[in-house]
Amino acid sequence: MNPSVPPSAAEYGGDEVSAIVLDPGFSTTRAGFAGEDTPKSLIPSYYGKYSFEGQEKLIFGDDVFVTPRPGLSIHNPIGRDGIVEDWDMAEKVWEHSFTSRLTGAKPGNPLQNGLNDVADGEFPTEMEGVEAEEKPLADSPLLMSESSWNPTKAREKTIEIAMEKWGTPAFYLARNGVLAAFAAGKASALVVDIGASNISVTPVHDGMILKRGVQHSPLGGDYISSQIRALFKSNAPQPITIIPHYLISSKAAVEAGQPPQAKYKTFPPDRAPDSSYRSLLEERTLSEFKECVVQVWPGPTKLSATGPNGVVNEDMARSSPGRPFEFPDGYNQVFGVDRYRVVESLFDAKAAVPDPDSLFPAPTQAQTVPELIKAALGGVDVDIRPHLLANVVVTGASSLLHGFTDRLNQELMQSYPGPRVRISAPGHISERKFSSWIGGSILASLGTFHQMWISKKEFDEHGPNIVEKRCK
Amino acid sequence: MPPFKDEHILIIAPGSQVTLAQLGLPESFTPARFRFPTRMFPAEKKGEYEPYRIRERRQELKPANGHNAPKDVEMKGAEPTAQEGTGNSDVVKTEGSEEQKAEKTDNVAEGEPQEGAENGQTVEEIFYEEDVASDEGAIFPMENGRIMDWSCFFALLTHIHNTLSPPFHTPIMLIAEPVWSLRDREAITQFVFEKFKTPAFCLMDSALAVCYGYGTATATVVDVGKDKVDVTAVTDFVVNEHGRGIALEGCGGDYMTDRLVELLRSKGFSREMCEQLKQSNITELLPQGTPLPGTAATAQQDINHTSGSADAREGSDEGALKSQNGSAENEEDEGVLDVAAIVSGDASASDYIAKREQEKSVLKKSADQNAKALRLPNSKKEKATFQYQQFVRLEPDKDAPTGPGRFIRQTRDIEVGIERFLAATPKQKIEDRLSSGILEDIATQIHHTILAVPDATKRSDLWDSLIVVGNGSKIKGFTQALLGTINQKFVLSPSGTIFTSEIPSNFSTPIPTGGTNTPAPQGLSGPMHHPGGPGVNPLLVAATHSNNPAASNMPPGTPQMDPLSHHRSTGHSQTPTSVRTVKPPEYFAEWKEQSAPNAAQNASGPPGPGGPASGGGNRGMEEAVFLGAQVASKVIFVLDQGLSKGFMSRVEYNENGPSAIHEYFM
Repeated sequence: MNPSVPPSAAEYGGDEVSAIVLDPGFSTTRAGFAGEDTPKSLIPSYYGKYSFEGQEKLIFGDDVFVTPRPGLSIHNPIGRDGIVEDWDMAEKVWEHSFTSRLTGAKPGNPLQNGLNDVADGEFPTEMEGVEAEEKPLADSPLLMSESSWNPTKAREKTIEIAMEKWGTPAFYLARNGVLAAFAAGKASALVVDIGASNISVTPVHDGMILKRGVQHSPLGGDYISSQIRALFKSNAPQPITIIPHYLISSKAAVEAGQPPQAKYKTFPPDRAPDSSYRSLLEERTLSEFKECVVQVWPGPTKLSATGPNGVVNEDMARSSPGRPFEFPDGYNQVFGVDRYRVVESLFDAKAAVPDPDSLFPAPTQAQTVPELIKAALGGVDVDIRPHLLANVVVTGASSLLHGFTDRLNQELMQSYPGPRVRISAPGHISERKFSSWIGGSILASLGTFHQMWISKKEFDEHGPNIVEKRCK
Repeated sequence: MPPFKDEHILIIAPGSQVTLAQLGLPESFTPARFRFPTRMFPAEKKGEYEPYRIRERRQELKPANGHNAPKDVEMKGAEPTAQEGTGNSDVVKTEGSEEQKAEKTDNVAEGEPQEGAENGQTVEEIFYEEDVASDEGAIFPMENGRIMDWSCFFALLTHIHNTLSPPFHTPIMLIAEPVWSLRDREAITQFVFEKFKTPAFCLMDSALAVCYGYGTATATVVDVGKDKVDVTAVTDFVVNEHGRGIALEGCGGDYMTDRLVELLRSKGFSREMCEQLKQSNITELLPQGTPLPGTAATAQQDINHTSGSADAREGSDEGALKSQNGSAENEEDEGVLDVAAIVSGDASASDYIAKREQEKSVLKKSADQNAKALRLPNSKKEKATFQYQQFVRLEPDKDAPTGPGRFIRQTRDIEVGIERFLAATPKQKIEDRLSSGILEDIATQIHHTILAVPDATKRSDLWDSLIVVGNGSKIKGFTQALLGTINQKFVLSPSGTIFTSEIPSNFSTPIPTGGTNTPAPQGLSGPMHHPGGPGVNPLLVAATHSNNPAASNMPPGTPQMDPLSHHRSTGHSQTPTSVRTVKPPEYFAEWKEQSAPNAAQNASGPPGPGGPASGGGNRGMEEAVFLGAQVASKVIFVLDQGLSKGFMSRVEYNENGPSAIHEYFM
């Protein structure tokens, strides 16, 4: 090396190696470098599988949504309850989340990346072997999040993958409830997380979850989708079937409520994508529907009840102008009071749109958000309840449903008229969607966090069970 | 730090095929002054690269003086090993791999005895020459934007840096491909600071650079490359990473070449011919529903046509491949392109010029012929011709076997039928994707990308500001055809919805809760603007913003609807209600001229004749990324001077290391 070159490894300090924060969810997996404000990598947790010319191929990332493949089927390594079911695939999906945008597929051999001058003939021969087993995270510590009800086995498996498969030098596993509280700048909070497959209520006190108070139920975003599907089935003047874009070659403009006039595409049966692919793409349309149309009845009383001024709420809702929506095949309709109904069962189980074919059984009252909060508070010490109620943190992408926080506020004020109820819901969309990732980003970049990492050496000494002792 | 000067700024925009570079910002921004082919050739020493292919040729000489002979070696390349003389073992090693194996005599391996031998024994001398036109053995360090071979990529950067040889106080602007990961960017940052010792470095995303070029803060940038497409939504000069279409494979210009090959192979077209056909001005993508010339009016070009009927059409068209200028074949005086020969004096300059003249007159003649036929617009003609140029390496002359390789350019006119309108139709070959054609794939990706933008209020603007760049999109009618596909598949019908919708709900009660942000009236640009959120009457918002510049973006023809439709664009309504492209800026004269339809001269030489071709030549707004890079350099390095952290300075690098580029990355 030329001695006049000022920068050397020593000068820009080893502690600048930024950790990677990985926040796997049921619907999406978020990954990014600690210290940044949004995850740079956001991929669906779903992956596609198809075989082409006798070879089985896998697709990860957004590509799944864009190009249909012959015989493509969609899978998710994570079960409906948020616990990993297929570890091999979970590892691959997670690996894709950070290799695709952050670390690159395989780090180049430092001897050949052009940054180091190596005199001819000095290539150490043994480097060949090292390069072959280069691991994707060999130089980045990894902080991962998990749900509060993650079983011990799953936690141990996670650290094993991180340490043995990815070769991370340091690892930590944090509860996503705690991280969401951190993202809101609170060490104690009641975190209400409305996710895709689950809604959960997690009491956090001084940065620790209170295990007895953790509640969760399956009434998440996917449940709302199933409610919307139920609504479409019983829709008047005609039931609506969602036909995703990939099955349509062109559409024509039709009047509202008129049958669609679109040209459809057909695939030969041996090449047609699996029904799981279709339902994934239908979900895209549904999430657009949720963004554009669906609204939570603002309260203060239930949609089925009578409002404070004596008018039945449903009539009130009916009198408000509807919201139009056009489906990929061109069918369009204005949705009136129905747009409130599909989410009402998050607060009032009796209001659920009945659908016998749905994947989701009819909800019970105990699964609704207000009841979960009640149960969570019931599980914690009486002394800290007022403090938690004053720090209710609402997070999760499904909480972005129009009017959700207003309604939640009304419900809480009715249930707890005495104590001061204060809901804190970040207004910024990405803060709401990625709050547990952001909390992880904050945590991993704290100087004081350094002592918390589980190092590779400790893992080698104590085995995977160390995660139970260190990450509480 | 003294301010940076315009003439010192170095801009490099790497691409998978061509890397654009320029030192200094001209008075009025021009297309890139240098175009380097993005490839290098492995040098004799492992890990080193040469910009041109080095050939080696041997010749037997009778040395007048045995010891001096090796010094006469003609050295055109900067071959370090060559300088060490013929005795070097490295040279011997490569010799073995060369074709001239047969020539190898036993005594070559031992240079010493050979040199020592006197008495007029024949000595073999090795000539090194740069073969500027050859691609053989080249390594392309980038593939679909990804850097596959780092040492080669860095060697290319070094070569560019050396060629332009900027002064010390040169800030560097490098255009980053979207597909580069953060670690890739760190590695490049480290390389640039440590090798080039630059005082300031800016790594700018190519999509953002395009926005600078077009002077717009919010746009959907579609970059059609050789074999990939990037679709990026940029809002307020921020790239939306989530849902971005990155290096969508099989959607670039190569797709269209492949399709033409598929259509025309039976007529004896080679891939190279199809490539030139694609680049010629007779190939067009017609708007959907346009009847193809010469076919029955009912047969329409349909993007979603099954390939079967395309076959039928193919069959109806026969004998498309006709060589008109039959005499052109192998006619040496048609035009000899032999730069090296001129330089080395093998052919006299006047001779060369005479040949060029001749060539020009031939061109003119054919142009005249074309002019007669040009009465009809191309899209109405059933058949059209394009000029195909081919470079053939001549056998070395008998009398001068030492001369550098000579090339002959053959030109002939080839007639093509309606296949030339079908470049974007679905391929016949069974592929592992089910979509119908490149346009649909790109349209779907655009839809996905815009839908993934979290700020729903921006989506409508994004649909209304589409920018299509990249040399893959150069084919005539590409953008229009893409817009047509989007219109067909995604644009919402205005029926019914526009009148019944969006009358604000009048009963949502404002509730002051903790973090729920009451949208400020100016919440238009605020990301927390919760549409129709508690308390604020959206009509009021719309009314207070009726003179907002965004309102002028609304579709014309519905002036009375303005407040309502304006609310639509800000509310959480479905998109797109319309789709359109952004007009390129008009104040860059050099760019404007070139965005005129490309002349017949389009096929300007073989793919990647070696060496940085100077001058732009036929470069239009497809390379707007380079215009944007110049605008951005001016803003970031000269006007702003680092106030808003536009670039990373050397001080910063020394303090924080390469990973600090994450904060500066634009």
